[in-house]
Amino acid sequence: MNDLLLRDFVTHLLEGDCSQAVKEAERLISSGYTAEQLVRNGIEPAAETLNEKCTSVQFNLLEIMLFGRAATEVMKVLYPGGSAVDSNKGTLLLATMEGDVHDLGKNITKMVLTCKGYRIIDCGKNCCISQLIDMAVKENPFAVGVSGLISSVVPKVRQIRQAMDEQGLSQVKIIAGGGTLKQLTPEQLNVDFVAETAFDVDRFLIEILGGENK
Amino acid sequence: MNSLELTLAAVTFRQANRVPVMPQVFGHAATFAGAALEDYIKDGEVLASCQLTAQKYYGYDVVFSVMDVNVETEAIGSVLKYNRNDYATIERYALSVKDDFDRLELPDPEKAGRMPQMLKALKIMKRYLNNTVPIIGCVLGPMTLATQLLGMEEALFLAVDHPERFMQLLDYTTNVLIRFGTTQLKAGAHLPVVFEPSASPAVVPHQFFREFELPQLTKLFTALKKAGAVFNWLHIAGPTQPILPYYQQIGVDIANIDYYVSANEAIQLLGDVCVSGNIKPLDFVETSAAEIEKISKKLIDDFETRGGLILSSGCEIPPEAKAENIAALVGAVQ
Ligand code: B12
Repeated sequence: MNDLLLRDFVTHLLEGDCSQAVKEAERLISSGYTAEQLVRNGIEPAAETLNEKCTSVQFNLLEIMLFGRAATEVMKVLYPGGSAVDSNKGTLLLATMEGDVHDLGKNITKMVLTCKGYRIIDCGKNCCISQLIDMAVKENPFAVGVSGLISSVVPKVRQIRQAMDEQGLSQVKIIAGGGTLKQLTPEQLNVDFVAETAFDVDRFLIEILGGENK
Repeated sequence: MNSLELTLAAVTFRQANRVPVMPQVFGHAATFAGAALEDYIKDGEVLASCQLTAQKYYGYDVVFSVMDVNVETEAIGSVLKYNRNDYATIERYALSVKDDFDRLELPDPEKAGRMPQMLKALKIMKRYLNNTVPIIGCVLGPMTLATQLLGMEEALFLAVDHPERFMQLLDYTTNVLIRFGTTQLKAGAHLPVVFEPSASPAVVPHQFFREFELPQLTKLFTALKKAGAVFNWLHIAGPTQPILPYYQQIGVDIANIDYYVSANEAIQLLGDVCVSGNIKPLDFVETSAAEIEKISKKLIDDFETRGGLILSSGCEIPPEAKAENIAALVGAVQ
């Protein structure tokens, strides 16, 4: 949906201008907008614009990070209690696996999926399988997303399915992403989906939510 | 011709009897020689002995005194978490954005953190190899050290919010690297490779590279040459096409090319700069020796008329790589 009155808000977000975006969000709220409208008609379309760029050669990480910072600050204003969760969606765990310190991609994924209304539990970087499983038992996610940029994490990713099954978590889908993992197929990694970017995973998530949770 | 002579010929585009081959074997040397990665990155003697063992077995044209990307940041005060068989990770960064970057002291390479162990490895390898094989040390690039001191996101936000303070931090990191690199040259390195992943276009746009990074790299390479570096070798991974045209002006003699950049693109974008690359690191784990041989031969063919090629991987060969795949890379130049 294209709300012209939110144009400045979207521009500030896309320019990564944190303080202007927050100011504009506050102004819009005081003039009668709801937090949900600002997310649906402001933050989401802004993220969508970046989505289009992300697939082209012009991919600009810094731009996405600055947008992420501004969107996060705005969310704090919109939801001081810390919750913007869409009840039709659900919880997703994210982690960068043990031995890997590359976490920029995971952080961007977190930001994009938070903007789309998922509840994200971030297990951080250098996360081992047992930590991931403990968190999955505790938080009951519908999917777990792992990011991997160095090849030494590949054998660890392959083990996740079995470790989850042993804990009765067979229904939880496993998604892989990040520079190294995306060079492999779901079969090679023993996972359900391999994401090319932080944006394309949403389609898969909607599919599994639609297919199984409704 | 020995390995050093072959390398000199490649970098200066002279005829030689074969292309030099330099797989980026760092931690793999430990795995290969049966040492724990932790000992390898902490103890110069272990590092040197593993490097020499691997070089002798495979017969390639280089040894590296490269530990990991945390040597400088640890020497400045970051706290690391060591793992027995994985690279160490940073547990606490040495600096925060609020620090006064004007007051920072340069670490003394003879004393600080693991720097002395890296120097020790260089000295041992120099004694052993007697100027026949290139001995490559390593310093981070100014940007990567800045991101390793503050954390990647903190550093990038600082660059956007307070560019002048970020510049100040880069001035400091460049001076750290000049001092460390110069000491490595004195200890026996022919050159330190400048390892700069954080300046990759995968992370920052090329305009950022031009404004912040180019002046610092120029200063660093000028100083290293002056201190006796045989060549300047810049190592930036990922899709580097937009920044390759700057390399010649920065004073780069050897450009590392990752698998994201094709032979043709490298040739067109680099001018007279020798190329090192570009076999995909993951292929050394996932594919076969026959496949590595095939892509290596194709790469050699692609550079046949132009010259100026060092056959290598696009970045570090993963520690768990298959030995026969590295052997196939080395075999391809014969
Ligand atoms: C920046 C960088 C670093 C920085 C990382 C800082 C940080 N906080 O992340 C530093 C300097 C610390 C670093 C260190 C090292 N690095 Co490094 N690094 C890079 C570089 C240049 C860019 C990576 C990056 O951030 N890309 C940008 C992000 C946004 O992309 P991305 O992660 O793919 O994410 C996108 C998608 O994949 C997706 N995504 C990511 N994860 C997930 C997860 C899910 C669930 C989903 C849905 C989507 C998703 O979202 C993003 C947006 O679409 C790459 C080279 C390259 N690929 O260009 C090498 C690279 C990753 N590094 C490499 C290496 C070898 C190392 C070191 C081991 C070097 C060394 N010898 O010490 C160390 C690692 C130590 C360790 N234990 O991990 C190699 C890995 C090779 C391999 N296959 O094993 C690479 C590939 C270079 C190469 N060509 O060989 N590095």
